[in-house]
Amino acid sequence: MKDKPITRRRFIGNSGAVAGSSLLRISVPAALALAEAACTAHEEASAFKILTSAEARELVAISARILPTTDTPGAREAGVVYFFDTVLADQFADQLGEFRALMGQFLAGVASRFDGAKMFSDLSEADQDAYLTDNDKTPFFGMLQAFTMMGFFAMSSYGGNKDNIGWKLIGFEGHGAAQPPFGYYDAQYMRGAQDDNQESD
Amino acid sequence: MTTKNQIEYPLDEAVDFVIVGSGSAGGILAKELSTGGFSVVALEQGPFREAKDFTHDEFEIFMMSGLAGGAAHKRNQTFRDDESKVAEVQTGPNRAPAFYAPGIGGSSVHFSANFWRLREIDFNERSVLGAISGTNFADWPITYDELEPYYTKVDWDIGVCGAPGPFDSPRSKPFPMPPMPVKSSGVLLEKGATALGLHAQAEPLAILSKPHNGRAACIHCGYCMGFGCEVGAKSSTLAAMIPQAQASGHCEIRADCAVYQLETGANGKVSEVRYIDPAGNQRAQKARAVIVAANGAETPRLLLNSANAAHPDGLANSSGFVGRNLMYNSHALVHATFEHPLNDYKGVQCTRVVHDYYESNPARGFYGGGGIDARPFLHATPIMYALTGQPPGKKQWGAEFKEQLAHNFNHQMTLAIGATSLAMDRNNITIDPTLKDEWDRPAMRVTYRDHDDDLSNARFLRDVAQDLVAAAGALEQWTHPVVPQRGGPHLLGTCRLGDDPQTSVVDRYHRSHDIANLFICDGSSMVTSGRGQPTMTIMALAFRAAEHIAAAARANEI
Repeated sequence: MKDKPITRRRFIGNSGAVAGSSLLRISVPAALALAEAACTAHEEASAFKILTSAEARELVAISARILPTTDTPGAREAGVVYFFDTVLADQFADQLGEFRALMGQFLAGVASRFDGAKMFSDLSEADQDAYLTDNDKTPFFGMLQAFTMMGFFAMSSYGGNKDNIGWKLIGFEGHGAAQPPFGYYDAQYMRGAQDDNQESD
Repeated sequence: MTTKNQIEYPLDEAVDFVIVGSGSAGGILAKELSTGGFSVVALEQGPFREAKDFTHDEFEIFMMSGLAGGAAHKRNQTFRDDESKVAEVQTGPNRAPAFYAPGIGGSSVHFSANFWRLREIDFNERSVLGAISGTNFADWPITYDELEPYYTKVDWDIGVCGAPGPFDSPRSKPFPMPPMPVKSSGVLLEKGATALGLHAQAEPLAILSKPHNGRAACIHCGYCMGFGCEVGAKSSTLAAMIPQAQASGHCEIRADCAVYQLETGANGKVSEVRYIDPAGNQRAQKARAVIVAANGAETPRLLLNSANAAHPDGLANSSGFVGRNLMYNSHALVHATFEHPLNDYKGVQCTRVVHDYYESNPARGFYGGGGIDARPFLHATPIMYALTGQPPGKKQWGAEFKEQLAHNFNHQMTLAIGATSLAMDRNNITIDPTLKDEWDRPAMRVTYRDHDDDLSNARFLRDVAQDLVAAAGALEQWTHPVVPQRGGPHLLGTCRLGDDPQTSVVDRYHRSHDIANLFICDGSSMVTSGRGQPTMTIMALAFRAAEHIAAAARANEI
């Protein structure tokens, strides 16, 4: 069940605990538990604009290896699959056909590489990583890696970057007004200039 | 909204001036001529956005080219790197071959606003260094001293912050406001420069560090490069000139109007400007005189697309120089990480630049010079950082990659090299033989391959930049091969100024040699490329041109 997509509304409704950046790291296990609960309870059929639930399951699994859940949230918790669904239905609609064709090729290789496995999402994480290592120069992987970055970091209005998980991960506080000093070296520089002034006084 | 209270001129009565384009040059010409009492219609193919329309939506700006003509922009042009090849629409991650921002204010809306003046040497370098074979390297017909008063006018009327540097050419008046507070990237560039015996100076910027001319100062939000400024602190012509043009009561701005042809009359002059209005209807505006300020790619396209029986090679093109000598400026990048957080995504792009290698030095074995500035570059926003700001040769997925993403964002900076391009016949704007753009106008075909000296010079400056970040204490640094460019936002040289009608398109006052009432002023006017930041010069040329064009109009010489 772990690899099934999470419904966004339910996840948001249950995950207020991860909203604060200071809580981000310690809250991950709790968030994951909530996500799994959401998956279990969720009826998948109407979750997406354009993706099928089977496609979504694979995309969640692959993107979760690109930006895995570690001691911080990854692509799965950020809901990047909802970003894929948004843009493939709209802004990147002209790429949907190519995307599906390439994904089909990518997934077709799984069964021949691993006995008994049908889908990427069926594999263990170690096997998933081994398969990606063999395929990370393919056009599909390149496309999905880029989509995952966009979904992780674009404004959450596009479906991913839920609760600004992506921005919090990298320490991006952007969007509003800021006041210098912005960083360590300019702060040090300003202090030096102040010290110089005091010395000359 | 933005045009509801402005004057409206009838199509069939000649206004004094139609200006094609409303960007860095067109916006200034519209303001100067309309406040001078002339009737002006400005035609702009892009929309009329206001400060309130600008967002921080990175996906929209960079993935969808939201301010840069949208996805169609790239499909409207073809590219080839050699005239023997068939040009094609570019696919993949390359930007449009001629990358610019259609809309009122043009590319001054989305640019980073680095505002170097040219120096004396840029105007007479051909005389100093001699000819370079295979190029159209030439002196300008004007000197730095002649342009200096107009650089100063840009400083004060448009709004430029800065402080004099050790190598600057003389200025007649101080900067109207102090430079931006130095960022960590600027401090580190300064540290590296000092260690190497070089000089880091404050970057002049067309961004307000203090309130000026009724406009608010910068709030350091960090959304400069590629974005429009929602507080109007960036000194675009949209913020600094268009409001005054409209308030004059003599300027009608017509947005979303795509000019497709200049028509000439029996007297040999341009009689009307034909365009497609926002509803898709063909219109024609009559004018006493026409100024083309559509940028260094669109200006030659329009002149070439206006060919008629009297001008079979296009308007103003008896020299054959319309569209020739395209110069992008050459570029290179060095990225580095440091021990402590820089948070370089905040604030303006650049606060320090090294100009020690501005001048060409024949002892290096190649022509060229340039500047090295410190900035976050495209890595000020998270998507572009993740896609383009990662060290090469490392795995782009997995837990380690994620750790790297998380750590480097606040610890990383870029040194950006902006440098010279040589003017050559082979680099040009022509008309594509088959492609039409979204308005059904014959599309532009861009042909470009950097001169070997420009590549050598960019590599030389990249090596200096690598030494600079090392001397500043970089933990890790990386760069990319310097290869011939396949597009750029600096579109220069394609209708150059000159005294000789056989080797230039416009005279020293921007009047076309061939047609008395046709003027051209924008990046196309530049004879040499400068060292990588052309907009300050385009704006100074526009103020100077406006003064001479107004004088000619008053003397009834248009």
